[in-house]
Amino acid sequence: MNTKENIVITNNVDELPILARRIEELVERWELPIDLTSSLNLVMEEAVSNVIFYAFKDNEKHEINISFSLENKTLTVEITDDGIEFDPTLRKKPDLTLPAEERPIGGLGIFLISKIMNIVKYKRLNNQNILTLIKTI
Amino acid sequence: MNFTKEKINDFCVLKIEGRIDTTNFNSFEAEINLLFNSGEKNIIFNCSGLNYISSSGLRVFLITQKKSISLNGKLHLCCLQPAIKEIFDISGFSTIFKIFDSEEEALDS
Repeated sequence: MNTKENIVITNNVDELPILARRIEELVERWELPIDLTSSLNLVMEEAVSNVIFYAFKDNEKHEINISFSLENKTLTVEITDDGIEFDPTLRKKPDLTLPAEERPIGGLGIFLISKIMNIVKYKRLNNQNILTLIKTI
Repeated sequence: MNFTKEKINDFCVLKIEGRIDTTNFNSFEAEINLLFNSGEKNIIFNCSGLNYISSSGLRVFLITQKKSISLNGKLHLCCLQPAIKEIFDISGFSTIFKIFDSEEEALDS
């Protein structure tokens, strides 16, 4: 079984549903636990929408490359874009103890990713952002 | 995403069905603004049909709660699917919302 898959989308939120469908297919084909579909979709939506909203300042069309691989029950997702340098791992963790009135709006996306995945890594290489997300199945 | 709006006693019950994500959270937010602008203060979100939420949707839930508190209103959530409840737990949202198992309980509080 081929356990590598590459998906390329452009920096447009309308492409998120396409990505979601591809993930559903992947979970089925790789026979991953079915409840992973929803959490993996959430992780990918958070990570990729961050890139779409914040990485590009030129209003041009950009490609975002997403690769999935499965090896020894370890799922690795790598998201690569050529946007401005942005290290999501530096985002401050939200204070979950604050009452609603004091909770800041936003900042939950990266936090959700880090809670669902086991490892979140970022590197800047050749003017590209590379976000690696790893989950043990 | 679909909404059904129903007035029961002092509450406006908004039944949410489908997904709230990056592509449609704006229409969810617009729907809530419409409720507040028409003078509703006590709101129930019946989430029995809500099967997916991302941080964009959570953001609108939090905005609604802040608005509700500032109006001295009530915002009750009910009937969350287990996967959605889990995301609320992870985000610390389960402690900042009043969450009920059934719509009847949400109406009685």
